[in-house]
Amino acid sequence: MASSNLPPRADNLGPTGFSGISRLFSGVSGPGGSDRKTVTFGDSSAVRSNTFASIVSLMLLLGLWFGSTTAWGLSQDFVDEANLAEADKGENDLTDAELVTRCNADPDCKGSYTRWVKPTQFPSIPDTLGAFVELNDEGFRNVTLGSHTRTSLWRVARGMFWGTLVGVPIGAAMGLSSLLRGFFDTPVEIFRPIPPLALIPLAIAFFGLGDDAAVPLLVFASIWIMIIAARSGAQAVSLSKVRAAYSLGASKRQVLTRVILPNALPDLFTGVRVALGVSWGTLVAAELVGASEGLGSMIFAARQFFRTDVMVVGIVTIAVLGVLMDVILRFLESKLIPWRGKG
Amino acid sequence: MRDLKVESVEMVYDVKGGDDVHALSDVSFDLNGGRLLTLLGPSGCGKTTLLNIIAGFLAPTSGSVSLGGEPITAPGQERGMVFQQGALFEWLSVTENISFGPRMNRKKKADYGTRVDELLDIVGLSGFGDKKIYELSGGMQQRVALARCLANDPDLILMDEPLGALDALTREKMQSLILELWKNTGKTIILVTHSVEEALYLGDKVFVMAPRPGRIDRVYELPFAEIGLTTEPREVKASPEFVSTREEVLSLIWEMEEQIMGGTG
Repeated sequence: MASSNLPPRADNLGPTGFSGISRLFSGVSGPGGSDRKTVTFGDSSAVRSNTFASIVSLMLLLGLWFGSTTAWGLSQDFVDEANLAEADKGENDLTDAELVTRCNADPDCKGSYTRWVKPTQFPSIPDTLGAFVELNDEGFRNVTLGSHTRTSLWRVARGMFWGTLVGVPIGAAMGLSSLLRGFFDTPVEIFRPIPPLALIPLAIAFFGLGDDAAVPLLVFASIWIMIIAARSGAQAVSLSKVRAAYSLGASKRQVLTRVILPNALPDLFTGVRVALGVSWGTLVAAELVGASEGLGSMIFAARQFFRTDVMVVGIVTIAVLGVLMDVILRFLESKLIPWRGKG
Repeated sequence: MRDLKVESVEMVYDVKGGDDVHALSDVSFDLNGGRLLTLLGPSGCGKTTLLNIIAGFLAPTSGSVSLGGEPITAPGQERGMVFQQGALFEWLSVTENISFGPRMNRKKKADYGTRVDELLDIVGLSGFGDKKIYELSGGMQQRVALARCLANDPDLILMDEPLGALDALTREKMQSLILELWKNTGKTIILVTHSVEEALYLGDKVFVMAPRPGRIDRVYELPFAEIGLTTEPREVKASPEFVSTREEVLSLIWEMEEQIMGGTG
């Protein structure tokens, strides 16, 4: 094409006519083939997550939190103390303006102050950071954040372990044998649609509190997902692969272990990711009502003391761990099944 | 190489709520060891069914198939199979795919290691042994499939449209490779194809099959495969003899297609 040798003309530049920040916002990449596209709206390959916009949204969220709670760290303690001091004089509900005056007079409490959201509704950023330090050093009710986290993770690990260990052979059998497919179809179809959360009271009644109820509940949460994943994994193998293996002299057992199982790995991986997500959610709910340790129970106990800062630390921990698990699994996936989505 | 004997093979598929499909009707032939037979015909003529029966993947409704006097009832490693695509094991490297057969037979690496290197060389993939399957182009993948099949040293190689998914240029190169393999190994090969040109170029024997019921309509004994071993492929395919045979077979198949259309429309 002769035109590709011509220098770019101004009216040919299209979106690259933007510069600086507006260029970041428009999501246009640097000079390259994609710049030459004339149709970009509706071209899904041209839409990528813009890093700058992601940073902006994160800043906005933090700004909203900062601005709507306590701007420069007017701590809950200060509010409490100020109110207590006034309580003796029969005046225990200071106005915001009075609190600001006092704060400005106090060398430990300086700066501007907003109180659109009270600390008992939602904690400030400094309070939350303080609670994080406190939870790590002394713990909440003598149990540290690390210990709560370990308890929760260990429960999920045990639930996933048994759910996978029992679920995968059952699912594989369902994918490979009409008899076993028929046998297991009924229980799977009956139990699979039950949300594990609905079983929490029954699990506590049957197994008792703590690990006794949480782990079986997590097995229930993960086992059906693993069964379905293993079933579709076993059935995902193409007839030509199986026939090729038999023609190459493989026995039935070798076809299972050398062809069907490795071929099912991508589906099993998807199953583990989904099951882990569901287990994590189920666990926190189960701990809210039925345990004395674990992140869920920590959040629930904090409610009785109006410790919103402890709650937020717990919630953020849960969120970070959830993201972390997914990142680790995706990394493992890229290492263990690099052929996924290729060829 | 042992001879293949196909005796009055019938294949009838039961169709629920419809007429039975007569996929193969009274198919009989003998194929001497070392021949290259191509099966050609419109869709529904039963050529893949016939190949699957010889491979042992399907049992015929009646009739029998035997290789060197031994009846065929199941897949076996004396009959290697090359599929159109997707039959390679993505989780294994090129070398591991090729050595799959020997490894399933619990052979030691010392016994098959050099053979695998030889095969890589024969199919033109030297230096690609450690690559993963998804890193290869379609043509290279079919080269791996050929090498994998040869690793077990089968008497008979069955190919189900092995070049059907390749682009025209790669296809021509692979045709030459198949002829080369045929000459150098002396194996018996049965190849199913949709392409008239490919069937005539590769087959030293060609069955043109007809549908409803599936049967062998015409048998050609052709010199082009032999010529192709020493002559440029384009030259062979442009020769007057090749062109006239091609036109003859094409009009034959067109006629069949017309009849199918007339029958249904």
